[in-house]
Amino acid sequence: MDAVASRRRWSRLLVAGVVIALLVLPQVGGRFWQYLTLNILLLSLFSLSFNLLFGMTGLLSFGQAAFYATGAYATALLLRTEVIPLLPSVILGTVVAALLAAFIGFFCVRHTHVYFAMLTLAFGMMVYAIMWKWTPVTGGDDGLIGIPRGSLSIPGLFTIRMDPLAHYYYFLTVLALLGIYALYRISRSPFGLVLNGMRENAGRVEFAGIPTRRYLWWAFTIAGFFAGLAGSLMAPLESTVAPASAHWAKSAEPVMASLIGGPFTFAGPIVGSLIYIGLKEVIVRFTQYWLLIFGTGLLVLVLGFRGGVVGFLLQRFARRDSPAGPAEK
Amino acid sequence: MVGTLLYQGLVGLSEAMYLWLVAAGLSLIFGVLRILNFAHGSLFMLGAYLAFYFIRLLGGNFWVGLLLGPMVVAAVGWALESFFLRRVYHLDVAFQLLLTFAFVLIFDDLVKLVWGPLYQSVATPAVLSGAVRVLGRPYPVYNLFILGVGALVGLGLWLLLEQTPWGTVVRAAASDRDMASALGVRVPRLYTAVFIFGAWLAALGGALSVPVHTISPGMGESIIIEAFLVVVIGGLGSLKGAFLGAVLIGLLHAYGIMFLPMFELALAYIGMAIVLIIRPWGMFGVREV
Amino acid sequence: MSNTRGLNRRDFLKVSVAGAAGVALGSELGFPAIVHAAKVKDPIKIGLQGIMSGPLGAYGEYMKKGATLAMEEINSKGGVLGSKIEMNFRDEELKPDVAVKNARFFVDDWGADFLIGIDSSGVALAVGQLMAELNKILIVTHAATEKYNEGLVYQKQIKQCFRVSVPVYQDGIASAYVAKDLPVKTWATVSPDYEYGYTSWKMFKYYLKELRPDVEFVGESWAKFGTTDFSSHITKVMAEKPEGIFTTEWGGEAVAFVKQARLFQVFYQTKAWMNPMGGAMDVLHGLGKEYPDGAWVSSRYWFLYPDTARNRAFVEAFRKRWNDFPAYVAETSYTAVYAIKKAVEKAGTLDVQTLISTLEGMELDRPAGECVIRAEDHQAVYTVPWGEITHDPRYPMPILRNLKVFPAKEYYRKPPFPPIG
Repeated sequence: MDAVASRRRWSRLLVAGVVIALLVLPQVGGRFWQYLTLNILLLSLFSLSFNLLFGMTGLLSFGQAAFYATGAYATALLLRTEVIPLLPSVILGTVVAALLAAFIGFFCVRHTHVYFAMLTLAFGMMVYAIMWKWTPVTGGDDGLIGIPRGSLSIPGLFTIRMDPLAHYYYFLTVLALLGIYALYRISRSPFGLVLNGMRENAGRVEFAGIPTRRYLWWAFTIAGFFAGLAGSLMAPLESTVAPASAHWAKSAEPVMASLIGGPFTFAGPIVGSLIYIGLKEVIVRFTQYWLLIFGTGLLVLVLGFRGGVVGFLLQRFARRDSPAGPAEK
Repeated sequence: MVGTLLYQGLVGLSEAMYLWLVAAGLSLIFGVLRILNFAHGSLFMLGAYLAFYFIRLLGGNFWVGLLLGPMVVAAVGWALESFFLRRVYHLDVAFQLLLTFAFVLIFDDLVKLVWGPLYQSVATPAVLSGAVRVLGRPYPVYNLFILGVGALVGLGLWLLLEQTPWGTVVRAAASDRDMASALGVRVPRLYTAVFIFGAWLAALGGALSVPVHTISPGMGESIIIEAFLVVVIGGLGSLKGAFLGAVLIGLLHAYGIMFLPMFELALAYIGMAIVLIIRPWGMFGVREV
Repeated sequence: MSNTRGLNRRDFLKVSVAGAAGVALGSELGFPAIVHAAKVKDPIKIGLQGIMSGPLGAYGEYMKKGATLAMEEINSKGGVLGSKIEMNFRDEELKPDVAVKNARFFVDDWGADFLIGIDSSGVALAVGQLMAELNKILIVTHAATEKYNEGLVYQKQIKQCFRVSVPVYQDGIASAYVAKDLPVKTWATVSPDYEYGYTSWKMFKYYLKELRPDVEFVGESWAKFGTTDFSSHITKVMAEKPEGIFTTEWGGEAVAFVKQARLFQVFYQTKAWMNPMGGAMDVLHGLGKEYPDGAWVSSRYWFLYPDTARNRAFVEAFRKRWNDFPAYVAETSYTAVYAIKKAVEKAGTLDVQTLISTLEGMELDRPAGECVIRAEDHQAVYTVPWGEITHDPRYPMPILRNLKVFPAKEYYRKPPFPPIG
């Protein structure tokens, strides 16, 4: 069996293993580990949506938290009515986030590079300001407290309450995995290929007759959709949504997770999320100076391991060199 | 009424000067090195802490602290550029940002390790504590002092870049690095020099803020974001733009507080978004080739 | 073989079987299982969260110091019913999601029996409503939002929540009582741009207007969190020529605000300055000689009040241990740990429902003086004085004089907590 097929088999096994581990966790692990795992799943989804723009398309966005937060707030408001059940609330919340992304994307995709990044930052902070100030709707800086998880039900057939963490764990895991799978298919689709092309050489793609701006806008909207999904799933988990979820510090999380794990492979952001959350949790038990340790780690990463953890591992285990992104100009 | 408006504007202008000092260095560094230095706010913070250190060490002399603090930070800037930044010039902008961001985290904790988590403050020097009458209202001498320093720095930079041979070399390297190198300019040395100078400017801003603000770990973070906004509004690489951008933000802030307090939180961002929509490369920015 | 040393074989078997059953059940609740009807376990674990980084990082540190002092004192005297107290500290980072994760870690992973601390109001609300799920007692030692006691405890009946530090009534209502006697007819404010700032100002205006109908409120400016330069806010507000300034800025922001107000000659142009958090130890140290005499301030505990043996002993012990005067959050977290000791000793169990009923109505013997935890909203009722800043050469920082004391039970809001104004 040649190297590529063998690697593909190993990846499939790995993915299967991870999914099984995820599904089994509530039976063997305590509440805190379930909670931590859910955080990692959410950050993975969020980072993958960010990386659709960055790793795939070459657009660095500093405002993805705007859509994450919008999804969260929208879902929270719907759940608080106690009339709309969980699944529709999550779906609707995600759609609202996607609509916002479509709107903001319209302005942002006209710009490139630094200006694009700064505009996304600006819009992200505008959303943050709205969340902070619009107290009658968003609860202001206190946020929305006490969001009920509701229940998953098909009328007449069954109703499962989502209050126990173990129940909500399965709901969130299934939806997050679906989202991740969807992003995977998008990345491997013709649409994804075009995005990759734009990262490599936007001029040539344009020359080939493809309306690059429209593709960028679609990429932006799709990224916003999945960021919104992550936020919508987060709101019932935490039972609280606060404006901090729209701040640029939150937008920086998927950036770091993607860069740590490696932005040029699909799994990179997932691995990066695991490392980012897991490492912080470990470091914090030993010292309060986790920024120092984390910053030093980032330094080492940038100076030595630019493909991120996944890139590094791939280089080690591949027979030939793995395809690298434009790390070198 | 007019008097109140003018006075408020004058206040906003003095607030803008700290921002100008940070943005000037940031703009210079970007213009020549093509690096967006995320750690520039940390250099501002280090300038403040080191000035504070010298002031405390030497029993309260503000002027000595003002002199020595930024000089030490200039040395830190030298180390940063020579040992770290130099390695990422040829890389994607995301890695440059990540590297400088790593230093933000490191400096935030280092400062907490050395000086503790409690914010620090220093008494305002007596000679700068008074106020003068401007438009019938009290205007602090310290704010005038800051305005003066900001203007001097602006003038000095202009003179340096437009009227001196070194300035010409810097401008040449900024506009075409390869050509400048071909003409014999020692580009790596120039880069280091510019970075040191930019770091010194940011540190000067930090040191100047010590007697009237409080200093604490993480204080660089809000000013770096604002400095980015200023530099983008002004147009990347344009010092003139950075100055006007800082003034614009300062005025926006002062008048925003007065007339649009509801939007104050987002005013600078809204301002930048509007500028970019009208002029996509900032006020004086050049279209990147 | 004597039974008093360790378990004999039969007991061992009993415990094992019970333990195994507990583990099987426990995988529903968390692993390892904590059997709730346990008498007292050793050690008793308390998880503390506060802000330990950024410009307000000192507050978390002082909280740690107060709680640690209490823990050391209690442990050296035999612990709680023979069990030692063990503490774990985490940084809330002013972020609700971080604080929630910390709380879950403390309870689900580390095995905390109690949670204490919390500086930020938003965080207190987020963690507070989580306590229903975690089912452990939370004793807040700083966050002042009235939504905690009025909303979470009284309305939503989340009974696991308690607070031993004063709520915003101290800032918004007691201040009105002080202001009524000041020769000021027009007030203006520069305050933090979030709920705490808005609520305190709203309460101040409402209660002062009742006490002094002749008073007017002529200006307001809201400074966003992290403001370092208050100049524009100062000039905006001073344009209305107020006779008095009321502010709820705290921590480093209060220091910067006072420094800059001085430079703008505010203290020459006004007759009064009021800051409910202006008497905090870090603000006093931070301003030093620059703190104008006569500024009216308060805090959540003033180390020189009351002048009792209990208070003096605490201040002495704190100074010896930490070489510093106790900040108010140190006293409140010290008190929280002692409250836990008293409750567990009275109840004889760690069962949460029993502890809740024990704490309700319980009197606390604390350095700050007489104190009772109200049953209806789990809020500690105790008195903190307001005073005028003065510089006394006996102390390394400014202190308060001319103390005004209003009994807390008189001005604290009471159920059913009607909306203000």
